[in-house]
Amino acid sequence: MNAVVQRARHPQLRDYIHSAVSGLLPFIQKGLVERVAVIFFNVDNIPIERFIFKLAVNQSYDSKVEEAALEFSLRSFLIKLPVSETLTKALPRDCRWEITAYFHSLPDASRSKDAEVWIPTDTKQWQTPPVISPIKSMTTEPLCLQLYLEHPSSSEPNS
Amino acid sequence: MAWGSNSRSSSRSSFRNSPFSDFGSYMVEKNRKLQNQFDAGASSSSHSALSSGKPIFHGVSVFVDGFTIPSSQELRGYMMRHGGHFENYFSRHRVTHIICSNLPDSKIKNLRSFSGGLPVVKPTWVLDSVAANKLLSWIPYQLDQLANETRNQPKLSAFFALKSIPVFEDAVTHTTYPLVPETEDSVFKGGTSKDAVSSEGGQYLEYTRQSSGEIDDHQCENTNETIIEKPFSNDEKSSEIKMEEQSFSNQEEECSIKNELQSSPHRPSASVSSYYLDNARKESSSTTVVGCSNKGHSTLEDPNFVENYFKYSRLHFIGTWRNRYQKRFPRLSNEFKHTSSDLNASGVSQKNVIIHMDMDCFFVSVVIRNNPELQDKPVAVCHSNNPKGTAEISSANYPARDYGVKAGIFVRDAKALCPHLVIFPYNFEAYEEVADQFYNILHKHCNKVQAVSCDEAFLEVMDSKEGDPELLASIIRKEIFETTGCTASAGIAGNLLMARLATRSAKPNGQCYIPVDKVDDYLHQLPIKALPGIGHVLEEKLRRRKVHTCGQLRMISKESLQRDFGTKTGDMLWNYCRGVDNRVVGVIQESKSIGAEVNWGVRFNDLKDSRHFLVNLCKEVTLRLKGCGVQGRTFTLKMKKRRKDAGEPAKYMGCGDCENLSHSMTVPLATDDVDVIQRIATQLFGFFHIDVKDIRGIGLQVSRLENADTAKQGHQRISIRSWLTSAPATNEELCKTSCLVRKERAVADGEKQSTDISLGQLSNDSKRPSLQMSPSSSNNEAPLNQVSELPALCDLDMGVLESLPPELLSEINDMYAGKLSDFIRKRKGKNENVSGTMCTTSYEIYEGAINNGKQLHCSIVPIRKTPVENKVEKTLDREIATENSLLQSSEVEKVKQYKIDEIQEVSVSGAVSLNVVDPASALEKSDLMPSSLSQVDISVLQQLPKEMWVDILEQLPVHRKPEHSSSAALDPLIANAQESLCFKHTENNSKSVDSVLGNNLWIGNPPQWVDKFKVSNCLLLNILAEMYYRSGSTGCLSSILQCTLSKFLLPLDASSDGWDETISSLCDLLKQYIKIKIESDIEEIYVCFRLLKRFTMKSKLFLEAYNVVFPYLQASAGENYGGSLQLSHAKE
Repeated sequence: MNAVVQRARHPQLRDYIHSAVSGLLPFIQKGLVERVAVIFFNVDNIPIERFIFKLAVNQSYDSKVEEAALEFSLRSFLIKLPVSETLTKALPRDCRWEITAYFHSLPDASRSKDAEVWIPTDTKQWQTPPVISPIKSMTTEPLCLQLYLEHPSSSEPNS
Repeated sequence: MAWGSNSRSSSRSSFRNSPFSDFGSYMVEKNRKLQNQFDAGASSSSHSALSSGKPIFHGVSVFVDGFTIPSSQELRGYMMRHGGHFENYFSRHRVTHIICSNLPDSKIKNLRSFSGGLPVVKPTWVLDSVAANKLLSWIPYQLDQLANETRNQPKLSAFFALKSIPVFEDAVTHTTYPLVPETEDSVFKGGTSKDAVSSEGGQYLEYTRQSSGEIDDHQCENTNETIIEKPFSNDEKSSEIKMEEQSFSNQEEECSIKNELQSSPHRPSASVSSYYLDNARKESSSTTVVGCSNKGHSTLEDPNFVENYFKYSRLHFIGTWRNRYQKRFPRLSNEFKHTSSDLNASGVSQKNVIIHMDMDCFFVSVVIRNNPELQDKPVAVCHSNNPKGTAEISSANYPARDYGVKAGIFVRDAKALCPHLVIFPYNFEAYEEVADQFYNILHKHCNKVQAVSCDEAFLEVMDSKEGDPELLASIIRKEIFETTGCTASAGIAGNLLMARLATRSAKPNGQCYIPVDKVDDYLHQLPIKALPGIGHVLEEKLRRRKVHTCGQLRMISKESLQRDFGTKTGDMLWNYCRGVDNRVVGVIQESKSIGAEVNWGVRFNDLKDSRHFLVNLCKEVTLRLKGCGVQGRTFTLKMKKRRKDAGEPAKYMGCGDCENLSHSMTVPLATDDVDVIQRIATQLFGFFHIDVKDIRGIGLQVSRLENADTAKQGHQRISIRSWLTSAPATNEELCKTSCLVRKERAVADGEKQSTDISLGQLSNDSKRPSLQMSPSSSNNEAPLNQVSELPALCDLDMGVLESLPPELLSEINDMYAGKLSDFIRKRKGKNENVSGTMCTTSYEIYEGAINNGKQLHCSIVPIRKTPVENKVEKTLDREIATENSLLQSSEVEKVKQYKIDEIQEVSVSGAVSLNVVDPASALEKSDLMPSSLSQVDISVLQQLPKEMWVDILEQLPVHRKPEHSSSAALDPLIANAQESLCFKHTENNSKSVDSVLGNNLWIGNPPQWVDKFKVSNCLLLNILAEMYYRSGSTGCLSSILQCTLSKFLLPLDASSDGWDETISSLCDLLKQYIKIKIESDIEEIYVCFRLLKRFTMKSKLFLEAYNVVFPYLQASAGENYGGSLQLSHAKE
C-alpha cells in the first residue's frame, strides 16, 4: 500500500487485533456489518471515545475492482488516521478498549462457524446522542468506508 | 519516514527505563542496528539473486523523503540488491542522494538546509538505473520543482557581471578548458561518493547545457568554488577556510585569536627610560591596591570602554590598517587589478615568480629599532608590564623565543621563562610609519603587490624580465633594513602557497627560494600544520587518520578528502599538500564582513550597562563601515555567555569558558546609519534571553556588504532623515521620545519578544498609509522605510493597530508609555483631514463630470474603521459620537446639500465611508451625499449596543431613498433589529425553509444550480457558479467554497440585492447537498460546514443561511449517525 502504519508490538495484542479483523471479514463480505467501532472505556466501563468505521459494501458489485482507485482511497484513509490525533482528547489512566462490530442482523451462530468467536457485548451506552467528528470518508466501488469519532455530548450525565 | 520525528515522540516515554542516556545515543544505536539489518539483507539477497547483476549503486546511499512510487520499501529493496545503501534517517554524512516525488514549499524555499546540498532526485532515477543496469546521471531526474527553480535564476549572472568584471574575466579564462571536463567527470563517472561537489557542479553544468549563453557566468562561479575562493563566492563555507588568510578581516582575526588586550592606562611612550619610570611608579602604586589601579578596565567602570578598547587594540590596528593602505595606494591597487587580469588572461601566470615578504617580529622590532643595544636581548611587546599579570604577549623577538616566550602566553609565564625579558608597550604611530615605509619600498620595486597585512605582502615578478628574483628579494630586504631599521624575510616560489612556506624556512632575516622541481621534496616532510588553512580542528581530524605530514596527506584521494571534509576544504587539502595554489596575486579580497567584537573586560551589572555598551559598539561598527565606504544588510550579534559552571577566568577580566551564541537579521536595504544599526542591535539583543551578568563578550558583525556609493545612487540618501523631517514637527518630537521609550522597553524585557516582533511588523507594515498621508514623499522611499526606522508612533499603521487584539494593543500602549492611545486619537484627527481632502477631490471630479455630462466613474475609496477600533477605544462617548454623526448624516441628506466639513465630521467618527458610488444612479441625482446608508459600515453598526443601532436604523429608513438599490444590504440589519435577536431567522427565511426540497439542484453535470445561479441577479450566487468551474468542476461543494474563500476577501454581501431570495437558494443548495452526501460522505459535509462557518465571520448573508441550514444538518446527522456533528473543537 506504500503507506506507513503503526503496528502493535505485543504479540497477544497483535493477535487480538488480527483475529478480530479477520474474523469480521466473512461478515463484511456478506454485507452484514454496518459499523465497526473501536471503543475506549474508562475504569467504570463507560465509553469515552469511539472510533467508528462505517462500512457499506456493494454486494452487487462483483465485476472488476479498480485496484488503483481503491488503493488510493485506502491510502488516503491510512494517512489521515495518524494525523487525526488533534481531534481526540487525552485519555485518562487505566483505559480499556475493545473492537465492537455492529451488525445489521445477528448472524445465526449455528449456521456458520465464524460467528462463534463473537460474543455479544455488554457495553454501556451513552444516554444522549454523541458528538461526531468526521475523520475520513471514502466512496469507491465496491467499498464505502467512513471513519468518524464519537464523543459523549456535553449534556451527557457525568458518572 | 519523517526525519525521525515520529520515533522521537514515541520513544521519549520509554527513556526512563532504557539503557540509553539520551535520544542521541539511542539514535546512534538504532541506526547501527538498521545498518546491520540492511547489510544482512543485502548479503543474503545478493547471494540468492546473483542474476540481479552488478552493484550499480555502489557508493550510493539514498534517503527517501515522503511518499514515493514505488514505495520506500521497494526502493530499499533495489538499493539492497544493487549494492547501494538505504538510510532510514537523514544524515548529511552518510546520505548521498535524497529521493522524493514532491517537496513542500517550505523545503523548496530552504533547500539547502533541507538537503545539505545533496542532490534531490525523483525515484524514477533508481528504477531507470536498474533498468539500464548502470548508474545513470541523476541530473535529468532532478526534482521538477527544483529544476524549474534553478533555471529561472538569472540574478546570479547579472550580479557577477555588475560586480567585478576583472575578476570575472580571469576566472573565465581559467575555466574554459581544464575545469569543465573535470567536473563533468566527477559527476558522471562516479556520481556516487562526491556529494556536494557533484551536486553543485552538476547544477551548474545543467545550466550550461540549457543555455549556452550563460556558460561563462556559471563556469565563473564554478571556478570560484572549486579553485579559489573569490570574495564573492556565495557559499559561506569559504569564509571558514580562509580564516587564517583573511587577516584583513579584523572581525575574524579577532575571534580566532583570543583577545590579548588590557587597555593600559598609560599611553605608550617612545623613550624607554620614561616608560620604565612610568611603569615603576605604577607598579609601586598598584602593589597595594591592584583592583584600584585597574579601574577603567571593564565595561563597568569606563564609560568610554569601547572606544578605548579599540584604541589600544593591536588587532584593531591590524584590521583597520588595511583601509589606510587602500587609501594610500588606491591608484596602485586599482591599476594593478586591471593589469593583473590582463596578464592572467594571456595565461602567462605560470612563468611568474612570487615573493613573499614578511617583516621579522614586526611588533617588537619596530619598537626597538632605535635601541640597537636591545637587538640581541629578549624583548616582547605587551600592553602591560605587570610581571604577575595575565596580559598576553603579543609578539616576541627571536632571542626571547629561544627562551620559550611566544605570542599568546601570559606575561607572568613569560617572566618565569625569561626573568630578564624586556616588555614594551605598543607604539602604534611607529607601526604605521614603518608599515608605510615598507610598502613604499615594495611598490617601488614591483607593481604587483598584494598586501596581506601591515608587515606582510606578496609580490609577483616576471622571472625573465626583472632578473633573478632572488637578487631582487635581497635588494628589497636590504632597502627595508636601511630605511626602517627592521629586518624582513623573503620566500620565493612559484605560487603564493609555496612562497609563504618558503618564508617559514627563511626566517629570521633570510630568504629562501623553492624552485618548482623542489616543491615535492620540500613538502614531503612538512607537517600539515604548517599549511595555511589547517588549524587545530582540522589538524586533529587528520591526526586521527594518522596523517602528520603533507607526504602522508598526498596518499589520500581527493574524493575521500572531499567527502570527509567537505568540497572546498577537501579540495584545498588536496591542492596544498601538492604545493598547488591557483590563487592570483593582487586580487584584493573585498571584506565580506565588517564588525567589532569585544571579549575582554565585558561585565555588566544591569541592562543599562549593556545597552550603553551596545550603543557604543554600534557607533564603532558604524565608523568602520563608513571607513570602508560600505553598507551592510545582514547584522549578526554575537554573544559570549559564561557557562553555568565556569568560574572567574584565569585571565584577568577575560571571557573564560563561554558559550557562543548569535542571532542575525537581514534588512532589505543596506545601511550604515548609526540609528538603524542601533535599533537592529537592540532588537537582536532582545532575542538572547541572557542574564546580562553572564555576558562575557559581545560582537556585532555586518555582512552582505554593498558599496556605499552605489547604494547612495540608488536611493539618494533621502530616506529616513528626510522622511522624518517631512513629518510634522510634533510628530517627530513624539516619535523620538517614543523610540527611546521603546528601546528601553525592548532591552528591559527580553521576554516580550513577541510584542517586539509584532512591533517590528507594525513598523514594516506601516509604510503604506503613511505614504498616503504625505504623498509628496517620493516613491523610492518605500523600500527604505522598510529597512528601518524605529516603529515610531507616527509610522504605526492604524490599520494594523486596529486589527490587533485589545490586550496586545494595551501592551504596546504600555511600551509607548501610554502615548499610543493619544496618538491614535491624534491620528484620527488626521484621517479626518485626509478623508476630507479625498471627499473634496471626488466631489470636484463629480462636479466636473456633471458639467461635462459624461458618465461618472468615481473610485470608491472606503475609509473604514474596523470594529476593533471601537474595542480599543471602548468608550461609550465614542459610540455616542458615532450615533450622532449618523444622525447628522441623515440630516444632511434631508437637506440634500453639500457641506464638506460635515462630511469630514462624519468620516471622523469613522463609521461611514463617504466616497461614492454607483455612477449611474449618482448622475441622476444631483447630490453626491452619502447617497445612503449602504455606505454605512455594517460591521461598525454591529459593534454598537443593540438598542443603539435599533435607534439608528429606525431613523434611517425614513430618509432612505427607495431608488437606492444598493442599500439593500441593510435590510437584514433592520430586520434583525426589529427582531433584536441576531440568530433567529426572519419570517421570510423560515418560509423558504419549507420550500421545495427536491434533489434536483445537484443533478446533472454541471449540476443545475450552477446554471441557475449564473443567471441569478445576485453577485454572490454568480460567484459561486463561477467558482464551480474554477475549482475544477468536481461537483464537490467543499472545493467550491474553498476556492471562493481564497479568491474573494471582500465582504460578499455588500452589494447583494434580493436578500431573501439569495438566502433561500443558498439554503436549498446546502440542504440538497446534505441530503445527498450525509449518508456516504460525512467528511465532505463536515468540511463544507467548517468552511461555511468561516464565511459567516465575514458575511451576514452566509451567517443567515448557515443558521437556517444548521438544524437541518444536525437533524440529518442524527438520523444517519445517531449523533450531532461537532463543528468546533474544544481546543479552539
